[in-house]
Amino acid sequence: MSQKKIAIYSGEIPSTTFIERLVDGMANSGYRIYLFGTLKKKKNYGTNVEVVAYSNRFEKTVQLLYYSFLLSVFQRKCKNKLDDLLAQQGNDSYGTKVKYYSVLYHRPDIFHLQWAKGVGDWIWVQEFGIKLVLSLRGTHVTISPIGNVYWKELYSQLFPKLNGFHAVSDATGMLAQTYGADATKIKTVYSGLDLERLPFVQKGKINSPLKIVSIGRSHWVKGYSYALDGLAILQEQQFDFEYSIIGVGIDEELLVQRSQLGLEKKVCFVTAAPFDAVLLAIREADVVLLSSVEEGIANVVLEAMALGTLVVTTDCGGMNEVITDGENGFLIPVRSLLAIAEALRKVADLSITEYHKMTLAARKTIENQHSHRIMIADMKSLYESVLKDPS
Amino acid sequence: MRIGLVLPAVPGYSETFFVNKIRGLHSHGHEVVLFVSGSHKIKTFEGATVVASPKLSGNLPLLFLQESCSFLILLLLNFKVVRQFYRLERNDESSFFSILKKMVLNHHLLSAKLDWLHFGFGTMALERENVAQAIGAKMAVSFRGFDIAIYPLKNPNCYDKLWKKVDKVHVISDDIADLVYKNGFENKEKVFKICPAIDVNYFSNVKETEATQTIQILTIARLHWKKGLEYTLEALALLKKKGVAFQYTIVGDGIEKERLLFAAHQLGLTDRVTFTGKLEPTVVRQLLGDATLYVQYSIQEGFCNAVLEAQAMGKLCIVSDAEGLSENVIDGVTGFVVAKRNPVSLAEKIQAVTKLAENEKRMMTEKAISRMKNEFTLEQQQKEFLEFYTTD
Repeated sequence: MSQKKIAIYSGEIPSTTFIERLVDGMANSGYRIYLFGTLKKKKNYGTNVEVVAYSNRFEKTVQLLYYSFLLSVFQRKCKNKLDDLLAQQGNDSYGTKVKYYSVLYHRPDIFHLQWAKGVGDWIWVQEFGIKLVLSLRGTHVTISPIGNVYWKELYSQLFPKLNGFHAVSDATGMLAQTYGADATKIKTVYSGLDLERLPFVQKGKINSPLKIVSIGRSHWVKGYSYALDGLAILQEQQFDFEYSIIGVGIDEELLVQRSQLGLEKKVCFVTAAPFDAVLLAIREADVVLLSSVEEGIANVVLEAMALGTLVVTTDCGGMNEVITDGENGFLIPVRSLLAIAEALRKVADLSITEYHKMTLAARKTIENQHSHRIMIADMKSLYESVLKDPS
Repeated sequence: MRIGLVLPAVPGYSETFFVNKIRGLHSHGHEVVLFVSGSHKIKTFEGATVVASPKLSGNLPLLFLQESCSFLILLLLNFKVVRQFYRLERNDESSFFSILKKMVLNHHLLSAKLDWLHFGFGTMALERENVAQAIGAKMAVSFRGFDIAIYPLKNPNCYDKLWKKVDKVHVISDDIADLVYKNGFENKEKVFKICPAIDVNYFSNVKETEATQTIQILTIARLHWKKGLEYTLEALALLKKKGVAFQYTIVGDGIEKERLLFAAHQLGLTDRVTFTGKLEPTVVRQLLGDATLYVQYSIQEGFCNAVLEAQAMGKLCIVSDAEGLSENVIDGVTGFVVAKRNPVSLAEKIQAVTKLAENEKRMMTEKAISRMKNEFTLEQQQKEFLEFYTTD
């Protein structure tokens, strides 16, 4: 049987950590992986990975000319069909063609699109026998269709047509069904961690002041304003803590809030840090706080659970598929300052034995549900079901 | 007197503060020159001459040529000014290159003949602290909100140089004045409060608010985090749980639209909240007329014209205690002030207000209208600005 070709597309090469792990995992599972898009940084992939990308205008022009030539000589009919399609859509610029021609020429068996908002750009691949699989992740699925009716309408129009879906959580998968995604074509594939890089370490004690950390980009969806309001309650109650948010840097809204709430001495904002520094910060903290108003499943929570640091997380998106309240972490309602304050107090009041019990349970959850091996196996299962589906 | 006003752009309709100020000065025989950023086709505005700042983007060789010529003309025709500016900057330990850069970027100001150079926002005075003295003019700076409440948090001590050189500071509320002092300005005698003003004749179409089961709540605000709209939505979610019937309209647009739409969705308020986007002033006034209650639950607010307008139109107002709002509305007398960032308190206050007797509400709104007519008129503001420039 010929080696199946999978294009894993996020637009940029290299991409996010999860996507890079997926690329490596799939390449080692017998597929030929294609990476199309813009080359941000050169990276050595294995032999089963072909990078078809450009890093500047000159390379873009060369790529356009090269694939125009190849298609004209070897796949003229398909090229004409694609050109007609693009002309009908009024979308036949050189920029579009340079993106599409290489994909058409290489004709992967599956085009695995990583971001939902691109579905309108790539639906054409199905006209050429390429199966289109979409990853359901992030705010593209959870927030954008609510914030803008355009996305809601686009997803409702196109999701029913897609060949398969990778959902980062059951919750995200169910959400996609509200836009017409076929439930039988959705597979939840949890993010897999390299557990060797995340060894579990049992803490010796819970600190006083309680060390709390949140990690994530500066975006309202992370709900940091709720975290600060919750911590202001703790400060009023004279509860001692230190709180760092890694990844926000200079965020005007949070700076004002911290100042207005008088939290300057207890709350620190840190710009984005390299992965190892983040892992160290998680290790040194007593608790990782996720105050998000919406999530798929936050990777930082998985990492904290793997490392042995207790998690307090809002019950948004798929977080309740990872955390069971009181067993392997604490699960609290979204947008509730009182709940944040109470949960952090609970952490501080735990005995070290209770803390260990919960963090051990958390580690078990990760080993059973979020290993790299399981992720690759599940993704392979999704690809195989899509390839076998005659529709 | 020749007064230069430095603003980011030619004032729009909603910036009644500036429009009124310019009209007032002009009508009293003073000449106003507006210095605005970027290139503008507008050459005059409300009788004021408009001068655009140097262009910073476009055809680079052409830009370089243009700015070099402008700088040479400045040097030739205003050598004394250039020399004075250079000396002042060197005293402040500015490098030669940074002085040159400032001269090029501010040549339009350095070649002006003015009695007063007034920066419309604190941030506009940064890197221009010596311009007024160099051209022999007095310097004034206005602080309105973001420039003193938020900007210095990201840029500590940014106004230290300005404080040493400014002749007068204009603030729009006492709380803004407190922030000016908190940021290091000590000379209280140089600080003058001139509140915003509104056209009380235009905003006087008092429609008797019909008693209805469903409370019509209105906010007119940019969709920006500082307007506290997410907290407002949380308060309304609590009200919905208590079975209070209401419809909430937010007039305005901005970068937080997605955030607020999602919050309304997640809080189960989609059927109770309408985001109208930006509307024509006449439509806004009509919505004000139809509203039962006006809410402005800002996190940071210099003063807020929308609240003045709502009061002038006889609407009961509930506001947060952000900076100027607690001067804008007198708690328990002309409206209600609630501690910011506390949706529970806001919800309780809204519910309490709806239960007030009609005559109580009427008394309050009448006091608010009277106060607007006595203290926040355009004429009053014009008079205060004249005094600002003409008295020592």
